[in-house]
Amino acid sequence: MSFKQFDTEDIVVSADAISSTVWSTGNYELTTFFTSSTQDSSTSGDYYLNVFQTGSTLTNAAVQFSVAYGNKDGFGATDFNSNVTGKSPSSAVYGQYRSLVLGDEDLDFNFQGVASSKGIFAISLDRARYKEKLLPGTFNLALKSGSTTRNLTDNSGMISTVTFTDAGRVYEIISGSNGVSHDGGTGITATNGSYGKLFPDIGLAILNASAINADFTNTLFGINTGSGATNGDNNMLLYNLINNGQSFKVNAEETVSSNYVFVRVRNSEFNYSNNPSNISGSGELRHNSMVNNPQAYITTVGLYNDANDLLGVAKLSKPLLKDFTKEALIRIKLDY
Amino acid sequence: MGYLNNGVVTVDAILTKKGRELLARGDGSFRITQFALGDDEIDYTLYNTTHPSGSAFYGEAIENMPLLEAFADETQIMKYKLATLPRGTAKLPVLEAGFASITLKQGAALTITPQTLNYLGAAQAFESSGYTATVADVRLLSNFSGVGINTSEAERLNAASTLGTNVSKTVVGTSINLTGTTINTLFGSNSSLSSTITLIGRDSGARITIPLTITKTT
Repeated sequence: MSFKQFDTEDIVVSADAISSTVWSTGNYELTTFFTSSTQDSSTSGDYYLNVFQTGSTLTNAAVQFSVAYGNKDGFGATDFNSNVTGKSPSSAVYGQYRSLVLGDEDLDFNFQGVASSKGIFAISLDRARYKEKLLPGTFNLALKSGSTTRNLTDNSGMISTVTFTDAGRVYEIISGSNGVSHDGGTGITATNGSYGKLFPDIGLAILNASAINADFTNTLFGINTGSGATNGDNNMLLYNLINNGQSFKVNAEETVSSNYVFVRVRNSEFNYSNNPSNISGSGELRHNSMVNNPQAYITTVGLYNDANDLLGVAKLSKPLLKDFTKEALIRIKLDY
Repeated sequence: MGYLNNGVVTVDAILTKKGRELLARGDGSFRITQFALGDDEIDYTLYNTTHPSGSAFYGEAIENMPLLEAFADETQIMKYKLATLPRGTAKLPVLEAGFASITLKQGAALTITPQTLNYLGAAQAFESSGYTATVADVRLLSNFSGVGINTSEAERLNAASTLGTNVSKTVVGTSINLTGTTINTLFGSNSSLSSTITLIGRDSGARITIPLTITKTT
């Protein structure tokens, strides 16, 4: 008589998609970018550069994303062993992302019809930033060198059918903003194809190094594709483009599963209280007026299993009066 | 812990420690099937039947009070449950353990067989789901077990053991067996140790707390 069974329709499971900002600043747009000279000069700096929202030595500094350069032939980086050419950090990065995204070591990245692109840039967002996945259509990245600026976005606003790879959904990165091209066209280059691919489910953007290089060829920018002992430091080249562009926008998307529990209290139920301030030692009600007109105040809802284990509790923000003339419907949301 | 905003009626729900444990176990035991309502924090002495403005204002002091947030400790919340009883009920179920307090010598044994008074129309009755008994400091007892309820959950609870730390232990049964500890070092320079046993009717929600004292014999 203190417990009431739920009916089937009283418990509803709902999965809702919520979107939120990615960056530690709490803003949609990140405008300042910092690297760590310590990390850059370490072994990991040969592979990737971590990018922070503030000076890397400050207490609130957090990695926002990392940039890496990959080359199929190992160009643009120092070979691991001078006697084995073509095996360098850049070839390792290329192979890593090729396996992750394409799932076939014999395939090359294909940027909207332009195959065999040997050079890529990878922008990998920190997992803690994007939580579950990126929200397509919110990806906006400005690259700048000299007086040349290129605004990149994904093409999610221009397609009706989503393509899937081994890394989940994939969108082409094009010239434009907010998921559409800047001029109503395709937003891709005639010679080098698209500017890259966005993989929102793994928080990754692969940029087409050839298209980037061609865009900024008239500036001081130039990807180093030397072979052998050359360390091109191409990671830093992309970082400089982003830093000069001063604008990286993207939002995250997360699916939250919630249990909605509807507690329905009929007028004849739960009108008496076992609260010791309400009864005497032998069980008599403190107030005689409550014998025929009991008044109870609901403050807490306990959710139990069949073994009477208290699994969850919900507190009301103020006491809810319950008597024989009142019914209550309380909606409880449990997130986990 | 903080106060909830009482400007609007909202519901702040959390899982209890027990809920998280059963959810992590992943064996289907985390399945919400029933609910109970509680009025923890309410002091019915504030219900003023002599309010000069009339009966609509008897509960004025209670209805405007802010409430605290929920606790995750399932033993510290839902202490006082609301009951569904016929209109005109003058007496609510209360537990009778047969002892106002319990004093045991070291090694002495005792069985508590609680009854529920004013329950299901009878002056006294045994609840079919049994009683939950919690000793606040399990070190004081060398044996603390419940008998008479054979559900898997009750058996699991009764079989759980602790490793001599100052924690509570909960068992389920129609009768509760307890034996005073024989470990002298627990007493230090004291001649007795004190704790409490809380009994809860698993059907009625009635509750009683009994002081427990173990006296040193050697």
